[in-house]
Amino acid sequence: MSQIGALTVAHLSSRRRSLLSWGLPLGLMSGFVVAIYPSIEAALSKAVQSYPSGLKEAFGIGQLSSVEQYLQAEMLSLIVPLSVGYLAVRAVASGLSGAAEEGRLDVLLSAPLARWRLVAAGFAATAVELAAVLALAAVLTMLGSVIGGAGLSAGRAAAGFAEVWPLALLFAGLGVIASGFSLRTAVVTGSVAGVLVAMYVIDLIGKLDPSVSGVRYASVFKYYGKAIDNGIDPLAFVGITAVATALAALGALLFERRDLPA
Amino acid sequence: MAVIETERLTKSYGQARGIEDVTFAVGAGEVFGFLGPNGAGKTTTIRTLLDLLHPTRGSARLFGLDSHRDSVAIRARLGNLPGDFGYGKDTTGREAIALLARLRGVSGRGRTESLAERFRADLDRPLGQLSRGNRQKVGLILAVFHEPELLILDEPTGGLDPLMQEEFLALVLEERQRGAAVFFSSHELDEVERVCDRVGIVRDGRLIAVERIAELRGNARRKVVVELDDPAGLPALGEIPGAADLELSGARASLSFAGELHPLLAALAGRRVLDLEVTRPTLEELFLTYYRGDAGGDAA
Repeated sequence: MSQIGALTVAHLSSRRRSLLSWGLPLGLMSGFVVAIYPSIEAALSKAVQSYPSGLKEAFGIGQLSSVEQYLQAEMLSLIVPLSVGYLAVRAVASGLSGAAEEGRLDVLLSAPLARWRLVAAGFAATAVELAAVLALAAVLTMLGSVIGGAGLSAGRAAAGFAEVWPLALLFAGLGVIASGFSLRTAVVTGSVAGVLVAMYVIDLIGKLDPSVSGVRYASVFKYYGKAIDNGIDPLAFVGITAVATALAALGALLFERRDLPA
Repeated sequence: MAVIETERLTKSYGQARGIEDVTFAVGAGEVFGFLGPNGAGKTTTIRTLLDLLHPTRGSARLFGLDSHRDSVAIRARLGNLPGDFGYGKDTTGREAIALLARLRGVSGRGRTESLAERFRADLDRPLGQLSRGNRQKVGLILAVFHEPELLILDEPTGGLDPLMQEEFLALVLEERQRGAAVFFSSHELDEVERVCDRVGIVRDGRLIAVERIAELRGNARRKVVVELDDPAGLPALGEIPGAADLELSGARASLSFAGELHPLLAALAGRRVLDLEVTRPTLEELFLTYYRGDAGGDAA
């Protein structure tokens, strides 16, 4: 096994609990949301009609005339992307700043291991971890649909959850860059989580006020949120993934050059 | 060829001091002690050798290779025990060793089991559940299991009980016999005295002396106390070349003396010596002498 492969497996092993601690609650919550949809569908339609159109547009509420739209509004427009985005930063930070704080970095870098390989393995493991968490959440959501008889489309639900993956990975890339400047986990996660929330708010403002809609280009959320209705946009999916990888590569360069004090 | 060779190695942290103009060499099969109190610059020197810190100026070469440019090739040939060994709370020693073996391309786990038995190390419990001393044993195994050519150990006996400290010192001597060079920092003078061939003393980021243990003691001033039946001859002892700090108390004189004892004994010849005591300073006293600034100069 290559060094990157061995490190990726070790990183995933150390993060194995996150599948349950993040995937399970997100999946159960989504499953519950989907399961109760048939019983509230009629009342919901009436309520939504009274919502301001700007609010509906901002939060992707639309007509809420289908369980997919309800899932998008309740989970995939806010809770899942912000949660999994934050998880991405935590995961990547645990392999760099967290490893430095635990002393693991000193031990690993006693071996004939280039720093960029360490970063690459951390980023790859984060990508796998995010995919696993989202997959578990999607499966539990489908389970909720089956139990509640909601009739959720498996393909559309899968597209909705899959769309979160490149978005979250972008914040993992930013986490690698932050680790190039600081090896304190609190600083890395705090700063990138701040960017995550800021991007969400910027996108929200752009949606609420058409006169400043241009600000949405400063946020990755501009390219997020339509997969459950329209399927995955391959350009956005690949583009965001490519940007995330480029950010991680830049972060690896910064990490390669920085001092690692005791 | 020297295994470690530094030339005016300097690392500064902005305004804060790190190390400055540190120059020394360590040969193959040599045990080199790096002495100094906390904050003197020992760990900074080690981290610079390992390319965890990049030198501000000067150079470090290990196995003739540049410590920064060739760091991956260098690290393939060394073992390192960090000062406060940690790895991760949930990982067991065996898992950590397995990963390091893969990263090093070592087939099997070398002499892991025999070392674990020797140091009574528990490799199957998560490191977070082990005491500092027991974690340190795992760190020691991680540093030596692959039989490196160079061992870099940063205050390696911290947390080890006296029995394990003895075992550790025996291991260091065995590593030397195997041909490995050992560079270890410490503020435990006793262990340095017992296993090191040479010692470097670092003070305020500067290497102020590099000497063989034997020479360090040989060059040091001995404390001499002499008692004669007739005190009249005592003041003349202060004029002997090498004598200093003469203090008289009745028929007793105490003084410090450097160099061969022959001039002193010649001066005492023909007198009735009631008592004569010559004491070499302990390494600790020597160390404190350097630290008080009574001795100094640049390192050899």
